[in-house]
This record gives sequence, C-alpha cells and structure tokens, in this order.
Amino acid sequence: MLKFTARRALLALIILILAVSLLFAMIHMMPGDPASVILGPKASPALKAELSQRMGLDQPLLVQLSRFYADLARGDLGVDVFSDREVSDIVFEQLPYTLALVLTAIGGATLLGVPLGCFSAIRRNSLLDRVTAVMSVAFIAVPSFVVALYLLLLLAVKLRWFPAMGAGADGDVADQARHLVLPAIALGLGWVGYIARLVRASMLEVMEDNHIRTARAFGLPERTIIVHYALRIAILPTVTILGLGIGSMLSGALFAEIVFSRPGIGKLLHEAVITRNYPVVMGSVLVTTAFFVLSTFVSDIINAALDPRLRESGKSS
Amino acid sequence: MGTKKKSGPYQIDRRDFLRQSTLAGLAIAGSLPNVSWAVLGDQLHIRNYQDISTLDPPFTISGAESIVFKAIFQNLLQFKSDGTWDTELDAAEYFEAIDDIHYAFRLKRGQIFSNGSGEMTADDVKFSFERIIDPDMHAINAPDMGTLSHVEVHDRYSGTIVLKSPYAAFIPIAAATYPILSREAVTSVGGRFGVRPPCCSGPYLFRDWQAKRKTILEKNPNWKGPEAAFDEIHIYAMTDAKAAEMAFEAGQLDCAEITVESVGPFEKNMPPDSFLEVHPSGRNFWLGMNQTNPALEDLRVRRAIQYAVDVAAVVEATWFGLAKPAYGPIPRGMLGCRERTLIPAKGDAGKARALLKEAGIELPLRLRLDVNSDALELTAVQVIQWSLKKVGIEVDIHTQDNSTFLTMGQEETGEQWQDMQLFMMSFIGSADPYYSLVWFTSKQLGQWNWERFSDEEFDRLNDLALATSDAAERDRMYQRMQDIMEESGCYRFISNGVMPQIVRKTIRPRFSPDGYAMLRGFRPAKQQS
Repeated sequence: MLKFTARRALLALIILILAVSLLFAMIHMMPGDPASVILGPKASPALKAELSQRMGLDQPLLVQLSRFYADLARGDLGVDVFSDREVSDIVFEQLPYTLALVLTAIGGATLLGVPLGCFSAIRRNSLLDRVTAVMSVAFIAVPSFVVALYLLLLLAVKLRWFPAMGAGADGDVADQARHLVLPAIALGLGWVGYIARLVRASMLEVMEDNHIRTARAFGLPERTIIVHYALRIAILPTVTILGLGIGSMLSGALFAEIVFSRPGIGKLLHEAVITRNYPVVMGSVLVTTAFFVLSTFVSDIINAALDPRLRESGKSS
Repeated sequence: MGTKKKSGPYQIDRRDFLRQSTLAGLAIAGSLPNVSWAVLGDQLHIRNYQDISTLDPPFTISGAESIVFKAIFQNLLQFKSDGTWDTELDAAEYFEAIDDIHYAFRLKRGQIFSNGSGEMTADDVKFSFERIIDPDMHAINAPDMGTLSHVEVHDRYSGTIVLKSPYAAFIPIAAATYPILSREAVTSVGGRFGVRPPCCSGPYLFRDWQAKRKTILEKNPNWKGPEAAFDEIHIYAMTDAKAAEMAFEAGQLDCAEITVESVGPFEKNMPPDSFLEVHPSGRNFWLGMNQTNPALEDLRVRRAIQYAVDVAAVVEATWFGLAKPAYGPIPRGMLGCRERTLIPAKGDAGKARALLKEAGIELPLRLRLDVNSDALELTAVQVIQWSLKKVGIEVDIHTQDNSTFLTMGQEETGEQWQDMQLFMMSFIGSADPYYSLVWFTSKQLGQWNWERFSDEEFDRLNDLALATSDAAERDRMYQRMQDIMEESGCYRFISNGVMPQIVRKTIRPRFSPDGYAMLRGFRPAKQQS
C-alpha cells in the first residue's frame, strides 16, 4: 500500500507541474496588456513600463515560468498588482469559503445519492425506483444556475427562510451554515442524481455476482450482504467520480459564488482573469489545480484501500 | 437484481420512506426562522459594484473606492449633495483662488483624525497633496493633480496651494476629490497603505474590510459636522447586479444599483416599501471610427456612417427609454455640454446614401465593428448594425473580452490597431469637462485616441480651456471642441447612459450627478438633513 501511495503521489506531483505550466502559458498568451488594464487611462507609458517590469512581463515566457516556480519553492506566490497584498494571503483567505461550499455540496449529494441508489437497486422497478430515476435525470439535466435562481426566488426572496447573499458573519457557525444551504443545494443537486444512478447501476451489477449468490446461499443477513459484500465493491466507481467531482466543483463553484454573492476562489479567479491580474490568477489556478489533483489522489487511495486488487495491479477503478 | 425479501434494517417500504421524508422536511422547515432579513434601523446596507482594492488616494482606480473614501475622509472641498457639480467647503473653512496658480485655504479647527493621529493641520494638506505628485510614489493618480507645484504652510491651519501654471480643473478634480490624510498616521505605516487606512476624519470611520464581501464603516464619534445618520454602513462588493436585485428583494439591502432592463419589471412589480431613482451616469458611449484605416479615410464615408446611425433607436433599445442621446462626451449638467449635436439623433439615411454615392463607394460596404462583451454595448452595436445595413453597409461585429478590447487600439501592444475600423467605446468621465476630452488630443494618438483624430485647433483649445479660469470662456471652448470632433466624422456620440437605483423607502439617498452613492448624504427617511 505504501509503494502504491508513493507511486500515486509522484504521479500527482507530475500532473500538477504539467497542468500548472500549461495553464501558465495559456494565461500569459491571452491577448490584453495587463499594465494598460490595471493602471487605466491615467497611467503614463513610463508607469506602464514600470509595472510590466515589476510583474516580470518584459521577460520571455520561459523565464517568467522558471521565476514562478523559483518563487513558489520559497513559498512566495507574488503580490496582487491592485492592492499590493500577498497573493497567498488573498488566495487562502478565499479558499475556505469555496472548500466549505464544495465539501458541503458533495457531502450532501453523497449522503442522499448513495442511499437512494442502493434503495433503487434493492427495490428495482418499484415505484420509488422509478421516481428516483425520473428525479435523478431531472436533477442532472437542469443546469445548476437555474436551480440556484429558483432556490433564491423561492426560499430567499419569497419565503425568506434563507439569506440571499453573503457567507455569514465571521465566527458565527450557525449563520455561516445558513448561508451555505442554498448554494450547496444548487451546486450539489445534480450530483445527487448522478451518484444515485451510478450507485444503482453498480449495485445491480454486483448483486448479480457469484459471491453475492453464495453469501445468500449461506444465509447471511441481507444487511451484511449489501453493506459488506455489495456496496463495498459497488461504491468504487463512485469514489473515483467523487474525486473528480470535487475538482470540477472547485471551478464550478463560480456560478454559486456569483449568484449568491459569496466570496470564494472561483470568483477571485474570474475577476483576476478579467483584469489580467496574473499573480492572483496563477495563485488561484495553482491552488485549485492542487486540490483537483489531491482529490483524485485521495480517491485512488480510498479505492485501493477498499479493493486490494487495485494495489496489486497499480490501477484505479 | 431487485428483491422483495423483507429483513434487516432495510425494511423501509415506500410509505415509510415518504412519511419519514415528509416528517424530516417539515421538521427542518419548522425549525427555520421565517424571518425578514430586513436591515436594522441604525444600519445602512448598500451595494458597491465591485470590491475596493485600496483606499490610499494616490492609487485608487475606481468609483467603488471613492464611494467609500468620501465617507471616511475629508477633502478641502466637497461636491454638494444636490445633484450638481457645485462644490462647498469640507475640511476648509476658507478656500479662495488668489490668482490662476495660487489657492489659499484655512482649515476648520478641531478636526480630529482617528486612531490618535491628532488634529488636522495645514501640514497634513501639504503632505497629502505632495505625496501624490512625488515621483518616487509612482502614483497612478498623479495626473489628476495637474500642474501642482507644492503647498506652502503658513501656520497650523492655513496655507497656499501653488501651481506651476494655470490648471482650471484643480478644484473639481483635485481639491474636491483627494482627501487629507494625517502625515503622522501614514508615515507610521511606511508611507502608503492598502484597504485599511491608518486614520480617518470623515463622518464615518473605517471599521473592517472583508475581501470580496464587504466594507464596514461606523459612526465617527469625533466628527464635528452634521451627525452621521447611521451607526454602521455595510458596503457589499457585488459585481453581479442581478444578484444584488435578488438580495434587495430578499430584504438584505437598502439600496442597490440595478440593471436598466430590470427597471421596467420593478416598476410593474415594485417590492414593498421601495422606490426607483434613475440617475444619468458619467459614462460616455460613442461609436468611434479609425480614420487611418483605408476603408474610412474618406471623410464622406465617415459622415455617411454618422448620418446612418439612428442614435435615438440605439438609445431606446439599449436603455429602454431611460437614457437620452448624448450631445457629446461632456454630459448634461456639466460646463461645456452642448445643447445639440450637429447631426440629429435620428440621423438621415437619405443623406448617408447620398454621401456614400458621392464618395463612389460600391455597396455593400463591409466593415468590422469591435466591441467589448458588455451587455449594454452589445445591444447598442446590434442596433447600429441594423441602422448601417439600411444604407448598404454590412457590419461584422467582433466581440472581445474587456481586457483584450482595452488594448486593441494601443500601438504599444501590437499592430492590430491598424485593422480596427468601427468600435463601440465607453469611458467614465470625471467632475470636469477637461477629463472628458483630453483623451482625444494628438498627444493621445496611439494610446486612447483610437480614432487617430488629430486637429490643431482642438489641441490648442484643450490647452487654453485648462489654462483659463473664466467659466463662460471654458464653456464656449469645450463646446467648440465637441463640434470639431463631430465635424471630423470620427465620432457618433451615443449616450451618457443611466445608473438606476432601487432604494428602500426607509432611506433618503443622495447620489452624485454621475450616479454614485454619496454616503454622507444618506439619511433615514424620517430624519431631516
């Protein structure tokens, strides 16, 4: 297991470096002069040149990239060109809001989706299975921003059960939780259907396996068969998908952060790209990519822990 | 494989599942407070269109920041809150132009900076103004100080501002815009600061800034002027106007700038205890023509385009009848604003066709029109496209993201400016007409003068208007400058736009002539100013 983990960690690091380098190149090749955008019309050519130099934009792309990694090795993500604040401070100030949102959304979706999928598989072709199927497809099909808008209109504007904007008062966990409910539902609802369908399909396949039939022949309780013999295997593709899901939600959180006026890394990145604030863009990209890689790495490890065959073959499900 | 076997804890049937789900749902719903998120009476909750980057005056870059710092700092002068560009005394009890290059001032006594930074003195005025023009500061806003040379301090409260040469925009753009900071406080934090000012002196004090969330101000107990109306002001950074509209409807905001397309729906279905105010904006929208592009070199072609564009239709479609066609870059209500355009807003398609024929243009003439991805401007260019099609000009619209668009016409960023033909531009002006026209001088060729418009008389008048303090003379010069712009065929002025605001009836708001919130003037509706 240790060897497997080390191998996966090395792979994750290589992926991270490649992804960040590629994104660095893509971002810096976008048209638009950051100095003009940042300084606005009042800036003199001398001031623009000074800013370009300060941002290192007067250097070739490879030099800029090597400087970025050299600074990164020292834990320096650079300085925000607008506010002169450390990029690391800015990014890590916003990151908890996005993580809280993503983890709540994916956690909630898992808590609902897995039992629903199991139940649908166990009660195959029952009314509840059909209702779950229809609802799942509906949840998957409706765009998240549409869900967000309707949740806002109904639960925040009309009924006023939940706040329409913000992230809650600092230090007030209950208030922060209240502010999380609607964005987390908007972000996670599609995943409920997705996970339910995935678990159902996997469960149906596993329930047909010989070892399940054997377990039944031995008279084991149904609960033991489902939890210990069926779900444990059926959950493997879901774990992999959840790893990817967390990654995609990190970037997908943007719409929830905009619609619900929440702070977060998605909104930070969006605004930084618009204004060509390269240090903040790279800081945000680095952190989100790292979390994406980390979440897939963790899902690989969980899969390997659940299924020893993967450790031996070195492959993920 | 489905199973009907009933054993173990999974013996939950459909009815149980539905019953338990319903009970759980009701329990959650019952535990939720059916509260109104309405604001408290002693707090003001207002939207700002973006987050602040810095409150240090030499480096502020947007109106979002000036909304905040006008409430927490004092200038020598301030703009009146009556919707005009007239100024009145603020920190100064006396301010007078001695001649074209000397302004004498005397501060009110007993104006105390927060954080123990002591009383405001003339030396603080000297420090605050001179640091903006200090070359070592590399201040973005140094050009706003114009020809400022230095400030002479006569005693604790009085001094003279000395300019190198006459600069007529000094009062609106410098003295009534840039605040006075404590030398001691700013020096103690290293000479510059970011979003957390080391001292305040206005009716409100800076209390907290939460990145991408809000800025919180609180009443200044040491403020000597008319008492601040609210104990706290929460200024929310909300880039998305639609989200702000929802938050207003949910009772979480007292005042929010909304989109123009929402004005109609709100008028039909107004939230309880709310009203709308629609103010002109200080933004200037125009269709620019690059006169050095071969397709537009002929003045008759540019004039044909001017006549072909139905500005009235563009404005109606874009601003839903809320805005008016512009008379030029200088907005209504400001010195130098014209009373008409040379070419009527409706245009004249017949004249446009005649001019194209006279120029020997083979129709259809295909032209490229660049525009940034702003929704308003995209709407405007579609109507322009329709207008031009009627006279045989086919327009290909090229939408650019804002940052790309802003550098397209600049020579230092490449050769793409040569390919530009038509472009939809917008620019936010300031409190003086100088700021609306300076971008079109020959000095700006290759920078912000994308039309490559160059006229000796225009350049001369620009210098003269800045050097004279005679308001009537300046007014005449600026009007003539806009005529010259229009005669060049490089511009079709569209509108100055609007800034609609939705406000709770419990609030009596105040806005500047360009539509920004003047927080000092906000009062509870029951309170008289």
